[in-house]
Amino acid sequence: MRDQLKASARSGLIFGVVIIFLMLFGLTKTLSDILGELFNLQSITRTGNSGGLMLLFALLAWWAGSRAAKEDKENWKAVLRNGAVSGLVIGSITALFTFLVGSLDGADIEMRTYLAQLDRPSVQFLLYGRSIIAGALMTFFIFLIFNLVGALASYILETRHAGGYLQKKYLQIKDRISGTSIVVRYKEHPQSKWIGYGILLAGTLLMPQFLGKYWNYAMGTVGIYVIMGLGLNIVVGLAGLLDLGYVAFFAIGAYTVGLLTAPAPIPIQWSFWPVLVISILLAAFAGILLGIPVLRMRGDYLAIVTLGFGEIIRVLIRSDMMSPYLGGPQGVRDIGGPSLFGISLSNERAYLYLIILGILLAILLTNFLQKSRVGRAWMAMREDETVAQAMGINTLYYKLMAFATGAAFAGFGGVLFAARNQYTGPADHTLMVSINVLSLLIVGGMGSIPGVMIGAFVLKGLPEVLRELDIYRLLVFGALLVIMMIIRPEGIWPAPRRRMELHESGLEEIPPDESLIGEEG
Amino acid sequence: MAMLEVKDIHTYYGNIHALKGISLTVEENEIVTLIGGNGAGKTTTLRTISGLIHPRSGEVFFEGEKITETPAHELVYKGITMVPEGRGIFARLTVFENLDMGAYSQPDRSNFNDDLERVFQLFPRLKERRSQVAGTLSGGEQQMLATARALMARPRLMLMDEPSMGLAPILVESVFETIVEINKSGTTILLVEQNAMVALSVADRGYVLQTGEIVLRDTAENLRQNEMVQKAYLGIE
Repeated sequence: MRDQLKASARSGLIFGVVIIFLMLFGLTKTLSDILGELFNLQSITRTGNSGGLMLLFALLAWWAGSRAAKEDKENWKAVLRNGAVSGLVIGSITALFTFLVGSLDGADIEMRTYLAQLDRPSVQFLLYGRSIIAGALMTFFIFLIFNLVGALASYILETRHAGGYLQKKYLQIKDRISGTSIVVRYKEHPQSKWIGYGILLAGTLLMPQFLGKYWNYAMGTVGIYVIMGLGLNIVVGLAGLLDLGYVAFFAIGAYTVGLLTAPAPIPIQWSFWPVLVISILLAAFAGILLGIPVLRMRGDYLAIVTLGFGEIIRVLIRSDMMSPYLGGPQGVRDIGGPSLFGISLSNERAYLYLIILGILLAILLTNFLQKSRVGRAWMAMREDETVAQAMGINTLYYKLMAFATGAAFAGFGGVLFAARNQYTGPADHTLMVSINVLSLLIVGGMGSIPGVMIGAFVLKGLPEVLRELDIYRLLVFGALLVIMMIIRPEGIWPAPRRRMELHESGLEEIPPDESLIGEEG
Repeated sequence: MAMLEVKDIHTYYGNIHALKGISLTVEENEIVTLIGGNGAGKTTTLRTISGLIHPRSGEVFFEGEKITETPAHELVYKGITMVPEGRGIFARLTVFENLDMGAYSQPDRSNFNDDLERVFQLFPRLKERRSQVAGTLSGGEQQMLATARALMARPRLMLMDEPSMGLAPILVESVFETIVEINKSGTTILLVEQNAMVALSVADRGYVLQTGEIVLRDTAENLRQNEMVQKAYLGIE
C-alpha cells in the first residue's frame, strides 16, 4: 500500500510540475481559449477564458486520476485512496503556485520583468478573476475532485464487470484510439497499410496547394528537419553512433550551395541542380573524412569528438581568417535557387514540393538500407561491435557508410535551407541545430521513420502553431525530454524493437521481421 | 600440413607481455584444447588467432596461408569462426535474428534453410525459441545459440572460448557432447577451457598454458595421466 501511495504521489507531482510549467509559459491560456471556444464557455476575465481553464484543469485532473487508479485496479477503496493522494499533491502544488503568484502580484511586484507570461491580467486569469484565496482554493478543489472522478471512472469503466454496454463501448473506443492497436491492425492487413500510406502521400502532395505562404514556409522548415532527422536516424538510430556535430554537414551543404551560386564572396555562379549534387557529395565526403580518424572511438568519446567538430566548422565559417572565402559573420547572400525548364522554382510552394520529394527519397533510401545487408550489419554493430566483427562484418567500413549517408542527408537539408532563405550565415549553424535534430529523434522514437516525422512536427511545427512557446523554446525542449523519458522513454512512435527493449512486458516474444520471413520461405 | 599453425607469437597489451612465444598446431578434424588457469593467456591466444589483436612478432598460418595481420572480419570468409567468451550473443535480437547474423558471411542465401535446419537438429531447444529475444534465454541456451550461430557461417575451424563458463555441470556435459558431434560432422575445433577435466575428456590433444607460455603439450590421454596436470588442474592429489 505504501508503494502505491508513493507512486500516486509521484505521478501527482509530475502532473503538478507539468501544469505549473504550462502556466509559466502561457500555454494554459492558449489551451483554455481553445476549450472555451469549443464548448462555448462563459468567461469572467478578459485575458483568457476562465471557464476553459476550469475545464482544462478538470480534464488534466481526470487524466491524472485515471493514471493513479491503475496502481490497483481491483479494489475501489484503493482506487479512491490513490486518486485522492494524486489529487491532493497536484492540487496543493498548483494552488500554492497560484497563491504565490497572486500574492506577489498583490504586493505590486512586476513579475513580468522576470517571467514574460505572468503579467497582471494573466495572474487574474489564473485566479479565475476572483480573490487570491478563492482562486487558489478553487484550483485545489478542482484537482482533488476530478482526480477522484477520474480514478472512479476508470475503475468503473475498466475494472468493474458491471459496466455492461457502456463499458464495452468505452473499451472499444479506447482500443480504437490507442496507437498500438492501429500499428497492430496495420501489421495484420498489409493492404490497409498501403492504403494508409497512399492517403498520407496524397494529403502531403495536396497540402502545399491549400496552405498560404507562411505555412508553406513553416512546413518547409519542418520538412528540412525531417530530412535531417532521417539522416541522423541512420547514424544514431540504426548504426548506434552518437553524433553531436551533425550541424557541421548541414553547414557544409549550405555553404557549398551558397559559395557556388552566389556572386560573392567567390564569383562563381553555377546553376542550382549540379551544385545540389556537388553539395551532397561534398557533405558525404566530409562525413568520411571526419569518420576515418574518430570512428575507432566508442560511445561517449565519439560524441565529444563530433561535438567538437561541429563547433570547429562554426568557428571557421565565422572567423576573419576565412572571411574572404566564406563571407565571415555576414554570411553569404543572394544564393541562387532552382529552376526547371526556365521557370524559377524560388517560391515557398515549389520549395515545399522539393522538400517533400527529398523526404520521399530519404524514406525510400532508409527503408532500402535498413532491409539490406547493410542494415543487418548496422544492427549487429549497434548490438555488439566485437561480435559483429566475429560474424564477418567490417565494422569500420559500415560505420563510415552510416556516417557518410547521414552527412549526405544533412548536406541536402543544408542546401534546401540556404537556397530557400537565399542566405546562410554562422548563426544558422549553431550547436542548437544538432540538439534539435537529436531531440526530435528522441521525442519521435529512435530508429523509426514515422517517429522522425512526428518528432519534427512536435519540435519544429508546434512552436509555429503556438508562438507563445518561442521565447521558452529551450526550456520546453528540456522539459519535453524529461517528461518523455519519464512517461514514454521509447518515443512517440518507436521502432518495434525499441519499444520492446524499454518495456519489460513485451520482452518475451517479438514478431519475426517480415523481410526475413520472405527469405526463409 | 597442419590446418592451423601458430609459430612463436608474442602478443602485448600495451607494455604487458601477455604471450611469450606460443607455438601450436591444429590438424584437420581434431579437437585441440588449451587449458590453464586465470591469466595464463588462453583467451589472448584465441584473440590473436582470430585477428582481434595482432601479435608483435610471430606468425599464424591457416591452411598454409599467412593470416597474422588479417582483420577479424575477413577470417570468417576464410573458414574460421569464433564463439566468443561469455557467449557474446546479440542479447536484444531474437534467436532467429542471431542465427541470421551468423550466416552474414554466406554469399549464397540458398544454403540458409539447410544450415538452419541443421543447427535446429543439433539444438532443438533453439527451434522452440526461435522468436524469443536471446537475452531472455537461460545460460545454457545462450551457449547453444552462440555455438549454433557460429555454425551458420559454415566454419572449417571453430574457435571456442570457455564454452563451460557459468554453466551448471549437467549443461556442461551436454554442451561438450554437442561439441564432439559438431567435430564428427567435419569441423575442426580449438577449444579454450578452464575446466580441464571435461576439456581433456573430449579433446584429442592439449596444450597447458602458464603465464603466457606453453609448459606442456601432449595427447589428451597423456595429459590426464600427467601428475602436474592432475595436481594443478584436475584437483587430483
